[in-house]
Amino acid sequence: MSAVLEQGVIDRSVAVPDTYYDKVVLRLVQFSIVWAIVAMGAGVYISAELLWPWLDFGQPWLSFGRLRPLHTNGVIFGFGVSALMATAFYSVQRTSHVSLFAPRLAWIVCYGWQLTVLLGGLSLLGGWTSSKEYAELEWPFDIAIALLWVSFGIVFFGTLARRRIRPIYISNWFYGGLIIVIAMLHIVNNLALPVTLDKSYSLYAGAQDAVVQWWYGHNAVGFLLTGGFLGMVYYFLPKQAGRPIWSYRLSIVAFWAFVYTYIWAGPHHLHYSAIPEWVQSLGMVMSIILLAPSWATLINGIMTVSGAWQKLRTDPALKFIVLALAFYGLATFEGPMMAIRSVNVVSHFTDWTIGHVHSGALGWNAMITYGTFYFLLPRMAGRALYSTSLANLHFWLALAGTMLYIMSMWAAGVSQGLLWLNLDETGELRFNFTDIMAGMAPYYGLRLLAGLIFLLGTCLMAWNLFMTIRGRDPVEVTAPDVDPLYEVKR
Amino acid sequence: MTLFIFVGDMLVMFFMVTMIVWLTAGVGKSRAQEISRIPLEDENYNG
Repeated sequence: MSAVLEQGVIDRSVAVPDTYYDKVVLRLVQFSIVWAIVAMGAGVYISAELLWPWLDFGQPWLSFGRLRPLHTNGVIFGFGVSALMATAFYSVQRTSHVSLFAPRLAWIVCYGWQLTVLLGGLSLLGGWTSSKEYAELEWPFDIAIALLWVSFGIVFFGTLARRRIRPIYISNWFYGGLIIVIAMLHIVNNLALPVTLDKSYSLYAGAQDAVVQWWYGHNAVGFLLTGGFLGMVYYFLPKQAGRPIWSYRLSIVAFWAFVYTYIWAGPHHLHYSAIPEWVQSLGMVMSIILLAPSWATLINGIMTVSGAWQKLRTDPALKFIVLALAFYGLATFEGPMMAIRSVNVVSHFTDWTIGHVHSGALGWNAMITYGTFYFLLPRMAGRALYSTSLANLHFWLALAGTMLYIMSMWAAGVSQGLLWLNLDETGELRFNFTDIMAGMAPYYGLRLLAGLIFLLGTCLMAWNLFMTIRGRDPVEVTAPDVDPLYEVKR
Repeated sequence: MTLFIFVGDMLVMFFMVTMIVWLTAGVGKSRAQEISRIPLEDENYNG
């Protein structure tokens, strides 16, 4: 069916189906995998430094204090955001039945983002820092991020605005929430007075600065590392399972409850601090309420797969996605429990928090992304995955690495918390702080091993996917006809 | 102050519950089922 006649005259009586624009999606996936290896490599290196501090070789740029933000920024903004941009561009076209809006702008977003993360990472190694966790980059990078993020939003919402199908599918609500809320958080938290190219001072001070920072910090976890990746689940899980989401109405309830509740939960990072007690209580209560929308999605996801369990034996992509859901359930249960003040008194400032973060980051974010990549690349290449057995090996390495990581950090964290609370009759620590930390070496050794195992699995995936897509451009895919009942009339 | 925060909180909660009920009530079961099928029927492979 060609609507273009020989003389170049368009026959308008024949509708031309939109061809989805996937080249930029593929490039973002490739960048995401590169960042995963680089940033996880940095994480493994700093975990080795905690065992053998001489590994910094006396170089400031190799010190823990500079490599740690490189690790977190690389994983969140390089690996995570590139994957979110790729999957958002991929799914919004399909669920809207139109090709990507402003593809040139999408390319600018793609390369501009990578350049910002790269230069930002180098600036962290050079000692530039605003000292705000997960927002360490200095003001020139903050401006670049804001501009690129708005451009990302223009491409996404532009595509949505041109949609040919009236309902906005649930994954787009989550991606849309991600784009709007992260823009708000990033701009407000990074309001600062620049004094030189590499130094600025926050507009906020004291307790206000802390509250704004953790309003940003926790909601970056909420809307980026949770909401954004839930968008991935709601699109790619039904796709891979071959079944619609179990309860669409539950997904809508979960979205709105998630949006309203999450934004209040940040103050649980500031228990027993100088902020007002009622703010701490509010953060704690909202964190516990958050269990409901979080587990609504968990139940929805598990019930969606419930009719397709047999696929789990043979389908590595679905294995990763289902395992990610399990870790999502674990992390979203553990988080609210740690927000309770009497639990937080043990967990705060200990490695328990590091274990919690990695049960989310490795078990949830990385696994759902890996599952999605194992789904995407063979489809884009138009051929089967290069090696299913290698993907299965990756699955077991990822599971083993994640479990070993979080169990070693739980053990270390609970030990630290209880020992630090053990005071003598004069209120002094019964056990010396440095002795406690010296006793953590076996746990840190296990954590290093866990990180290496997880990284090895990621490298296997990179090789497997490289061999799958090698020499191929994305297969041409067009939008199907729209049911007249749901068609947007132009 | 505590009362002010409590009342504010309850207003936000009321708004939230109203909006969720309004949104979910607007989507009938059969319509929801049809929308949920969007990802399963959104591609035509030409290659």
